[in-house]
Amino acid sequence: MINIKLKNDELELYRKIIVNSIRARIDKIHARGGVVALSGGIDSSLVAVLAKEALGENVLALIMPEEGVSPDSDTNHAIKIVKKFDIPHKIIPINGAIDWFFDIFPEKELSKREVKLALANVKPKIRMIINYLHANLENRIVIGTTNKTELLLGYGTKYGDLAADIYPIADLYKTQVWQLAEHVGIPTEIVRKKPTAGLWKGQTDEEELGHTYQEIDKILYTLVELEFSVKEASEYLGMKEEAIEDIFRRVKMSEHKRKTPTITRLSRMCLDKDWRYPVERY
Amino acid sequence: MRKISVGIGQIITRLGDIQGNRERILKFIEEGKKKNVDVIVFPELSTLGFGSGDIYLDKVNENLQLVEELVEISNDLKPYLIVGFVDRDERGFFYNAAAIIGKGKILGVHRKVQLVNYRLFDEKRYFAPGSSVNVFDTPWGKTGILICEDVWFPEPARILAFRGAEIIFVLSASPFDRGKPEVWEAFLKSRIYDNILPMVMVNQAGIQDGVTYWGGSMVFDAAGNLTHKAELLNQQFLVAEINLDLSRVLRRRDIRLRETRMEILEELLKAYREMQK
Repeated sequence: MINIKLKNDELELYRKIIVNSIRARIDKIHARGGVVALSGGIDSSLVAVLAKEALGENVLALIMPEEGVSPDSDTNHAIKIVKKFDIPHKIIPINGAIDWFFDIFPEKELSKREVKLALANVKPKIRMIINYLHANLENRIVIGTTNKTELLLGYGTKYGDLAADIYPIADLYKTQVWQLAEHVGIPTEIVRKKPTAGLWKGQTDEEELGHTYQEIDKILYTLVELEFSVKEASEYLGMKEEAIEDIFRRVKMSEHKRKTPTITRLSRMCLDKDWRYPVERY
Repeated sequence: MRKISVGIGQIITRLGDIQGNRERILKFIEEGKKKNVDVIVFPELSTLGFGSGDIYLDKVNENLQLVEELVEISNDLKPYLIVGFVDRDERGFFYNAAAIIGKGKILGVHRKVQLVNYRLFDEKRYFAPGSSVNVFDTPWGKTGILICEDVWFPEPARILAFRGAEIIFVLSASPFDRGKPEVWEAFLKSRIYDNILPMVMVNQAGIQDGVTYWGGSMVFDAAGNLTHKAELLNQQFLVAEINLDLSRVLRRRDIRLRETRMEILEELLKAYREMQK
């Protein structure tokens, strides 16, 4: 049975668990606090609010627009969030850094699609550098903002927006993120707006992925939580097998984004295979 | 009416944090003294902590030292202690175990018989399974101890009931996932409806590496009523008075336990052997 929707008491419990998990890491490593890249989208807004709840003044939201490309509405939403929830923040436009990368590529190569995508992926990596610069300077951890839907699809930039020390909302599907965001009091206009990765002007996730998030979550839930095969999921959901196959292919192709780099095993104590220790190690 | 006052030591424990776990255990022993309880029960592996990682293998000595210290402390203590720890045998095998300690002695040790090796669990990497399920004589009567997964199977609780247990303590370290507390409640009730005796489940609290131990320890009377429930997620010391006579009263008319038939038990074994082939 598809049971994505969370009940009210579950939302409150999830909120506490997420807040506790952020605090647990900070306490264990004696960090001063956390840094969150805040785009003004729903995922980063939710993480910023929960991190504020966990860390109080010791959270820093970094608003890093690409002026002229990031919609003004997003930046305004980010500012709205930090004001409403009283979150310490900085606004750092990243245009200068992006220009530098564009400058080192010859004009004609830029027209190729792959180059366009590769350069688009530079943007989240620039934000990552700024995140970790603050983390290193001020003894903070980077709190990631990806969710389960994105992580399953591989819809995120490796070493870019996916670079983080913890993923507090990555076991929540996108539609559950909407619910929890509403539950913690994030303004409706932010919850309801069309999600975008902001890699180029006018981009929306649902257009790029070819499905609405409601559809994608249903498919992922059926494949992952209910463990149905593509064929079974197609019958169960009354959807075309190709559509489900397409989603499943994305899941299979993106396994590398959910793992640390594979180590070639030569000893009996290979560090990603035989050696198993908790990160919060006592 | 015979009754027992149980102190539920729902502590935060962390894998490898023996100092921290020790402090939290000692703090709740003080609570138990103040509240004048008969027994204080701590979660599964409360000395060494529960989680996933090879740290189990590194700190067994320190964990055994802590058990020795608790035995020493129990000399001058009214409450008995039930504590989860890593036991080691003469061969060097490790066990996920629980000791009942009182008046300077270990009254008995239960070794978890149903190790968990599915989903996030990896217990067989570290532990050998126990192979017996015994009752222990205590001042308040015959007592059974089970550890976590032991109670997700019908047999261990059944054995304790046959052996005359008047109460069962279940020590657990249950990681949260959606609906887990409700599933636990259902399992515990099933065991109680089968065996008609009171049960106390003490679960760990706290979070480590993103895994939340949800607390929410539960006390049920012999009729299966949930009489006490500790807070979800948080550390808490909770006192529960439990009627030890109710089970006998109920069993006067609910005679299912003694109606268990040898032929059917034999049939069960036969069916199991067939399944194994």
